Amino acid sequence: MYRCAAGVRNVGMVWVWLAVSAAVVVGLSRAQADEDFGDFRSATLTSKAWEALGAGKLKSALSFTDKCRELYMEEARNQQGSVNEFASDEDAPKLWALNDVGTCLFIEGQVYEQQKKSKEAVAAYEQLVAQLGYAQCWDPQGWFWKPAEAAAKRIKELEFDAKLD
Amino acid sequence: MRSLTKAILSTAVLMQAGVVAASDVSKAAAIPVRIEGSIVEGFSLLRGGKPFQIRGAGGHEHLDVLAACGGNTIRTWDVETLLKKTDGVRLIDRAAERGIAVTVGIWLGHERHGFDYGNPRQLQQQRDRVVEAVKALRDHPAVLTWGLGNEMEGPTGSGDRRQIWQEIDRLAGFIKSLDTAHPVMTVVANINPAKVAAIKQHAPQVDILGVNAYSGATGIGGQLRQLGWEKPYCITEYGLPGPWEVEKTAWNAPREPTSRKKAGSYNVATREILADKACLGAYVFLWGQKQEATASWFGMFLPSGEKTITVDAVTDAWTDHWPADRSPVLREVEMPLDGRLLEPGAKLQVTARYRDPEGEPLSYEWEVRRESSDHQVGGDVEQRPAVVPDCIVMADAAGEATVRLPRKPGAYRLFVTVRDGHGSGCMDNWPFAVTTTDEQGSTR
Repeated sequence: MYRCAAGVRNVGMVWVWLAVSAAVVVGLSRAQADEDFGDFRSATLTSKAWEALGAGKLKSALSFTDKCRELYMEEARNQQGSVNEFASDEDAPKLWALNDVGTCLFIEGQVYEQQKKSKEAVAAYEQLVAQLGYAQCWDPQGWFWKPAEAAAKRIKELEFDAKLD
Repeated sequence: MRSLTKAILSTAVLMQAGVVAASDVSKAAAIPVRIEGSIVEGFSLLRGGKPFQIRGAGGHEHLDVLAACGGNTIRTWDVETLLKKTDGVRLIDRAAERGIAVTVGIWLGHERHGFDYGNPRQLQQQRDRVVEAVKALRDHPAVLTWGLGNEMEGPTGSGDRRQIWQEIDRLAGFIKSLDTAHPVMTVVANINPAKVAAIKQHAPQVDILGVNAYSGATGIGGQLRQLGWEKPYCITEYGLPGPWEVEKTAWNAPREPTSRKKAGSYNVATREILADKACLGAYVFLWGQKQEATASWFGMFLPSGEKTITVDAVTDAWTDHWPADRSPVLREVEMPLDGRLLEPGAKLQVTARYRDPEGEPLSYEWEVRRESSDHQVGGDVEQRPAVVPDCIVMADAAGEATVRLPRKPGAYRLFVTVRDGHGSGCMDNWPFAVTTTDEQGSTR
C-alpha cells in the first residue's frame, strides 16, 4: 500500500485560515471534538487519517477523513472539474484538495472494510472513482499513486469476494 | 509414405499446441518466439506464429493442476531445476508433454550473497554458465523466453548500479548470438525511476522487463509508461501484498491476509495485469509451497500438497470458470487472540468456519507455532518454526477449538489447516504474543 507523503502540497496561509474558520462555523461533533486536527490543513488531516488507520484507530481515522471532506470537498470537486487528465508530476501538487480528499475517501473505504461494512466501503470507493478520479498522491518511491485506481481495484475485489458465498 | 506424412503432420499439430511426448522431445525443434507491436498499440508474443499470452506460474510443481486450471507457462529461477529428473523425466520435458511453455530462469549472482560484479573471474565463470545453459536448451520446444537473473540488483535500494546492468546487457548479447528464436527477459524486484533509467541506458539488448511486484503489481504498467519504458514487460511474481507491505502487530509480526482476501487479490490482479496491452503476461507466485514469514503466505498449495483457494481464484481469472473441485472458503472467524498480548497458559475458545462449495465434509487441523525469527530478504530460504506441543485442548469438525496458550513468553501464531479430502484445502493464521502481566502494561 503506497501512502501519501505529507508536505507535498503547497497550501498557503489563506487556506489554513479558511480551514480554521470553517471548523469554528460548522462546529465539531462529539467524536470529532476528541481529535486533534492540528492546523486543519487537508494535508494534516490526511496524514493523521493514515496514521490512525495504521494504528487500528478506526473511529479516529473516520473523524479525520470526515473533517477533510467537510472542509475541502467543494474545492476538491472544483479542482477535479478543472482538469481532464492526470496532472503532470509538476502540476499535481497544485490540486492539493483533490489529492487529499481523494486519498481520504480511499482511507474511508479501508476503514469500512476493516469494520466489515462492505456496502459503505464500496460507496466510498465509488464516490472516489466517480467524483475525484484525478486525485493523485505522492509515493516516496518516485511517482504519483492514484487512489481512484486503487479504489476501483478494491471494488472488484469486493465483488469477487461476494462470488465466493 | 502416407503414414510418415501423417506422423509429420500430427507432430506439427502437437508442436503448434506446444505438446510434445517425452520420447519425442529430443527430436523436436525449438518453437520460435518473437515479439510484435509497439508501446502505443500494445505488444504480443507470437509463439510458432500464434499469439501467446502468458498465463504463468512461478514454480516447478503441480504441472497437471496448472494445465487443468488454464495455465500455460512456468517460470523457474535456475536451469538446474529444469534438468532435474523425476521418475526419469526432466522437468522441462514434463512441461512439454503437458503443453506448458517454460521461461528458463538463468540464475545470476547477487552481491548480497558475495557475488562481485567488478570481479573479472566471477563474471567469466557466470558468462560461461549462461552460454552453457543456452546451448543446452535453445532447441527445446518448451522454451518460451530466457529469464536472465532474478532481482540481482538487490531487493532494496535504487538498483541502478551501472556494472550490473552493463553485465546483463553483455549476457543478453551472448544469448542473442547463440539463439535468435527466444526473447531475453531480465527480472527485477519492483521498479523505481533510477532502476528503469539504468536498464534503459545500460541494457538495451534486453527484450522484456520482468517485474516482481506484490501490492503494486497492477500499477506497474502505468508506472513503466510514466518512466518512459517503451518495450514490453511481464509481471514475473505477483499475488498478494508481501510481509514487508502489510500492517504489523505491536511486536512487529506481519498480519497475513486471510485466505479469502488473498483470493480476491490474486483474481483481480490477474485480470488487471493481463488486460494491459503492453504486458505479455504474468506468473503467479508461488505455484507450490514455501516458508516465507509463514508457511502459507505465498504458497498456493498446502505443505501437504493440496491446492488452495488462490489457485481457484487464478483459474477463474484465466478461464472465467471455477475448477472442478473448489477449495474451502472461510466464512466466519471469532479469534479473540488475534493480534493480542495474552497471559501464559490462558485457555481461549476460537472459531474459524469454512464452507466447502461442493458440500464435502471438511477436516480441521489446528497448530500453534512460534513466530518465525528466521527473517530473510529477497525470498531467501527460511526455516519453518516447529509446532508448540499441547496447545490444542479440543477441536471439533465444525471449526471450533479450545487453545491453551504456551507457558513460555514470546510471539506465536495459531494456524488452521482445512482439507476437503479431494485435493483442495486452505490455511489461515493469526498472530498472538504471550507475555507476563507485568509486560502487558497497556492491558492493566
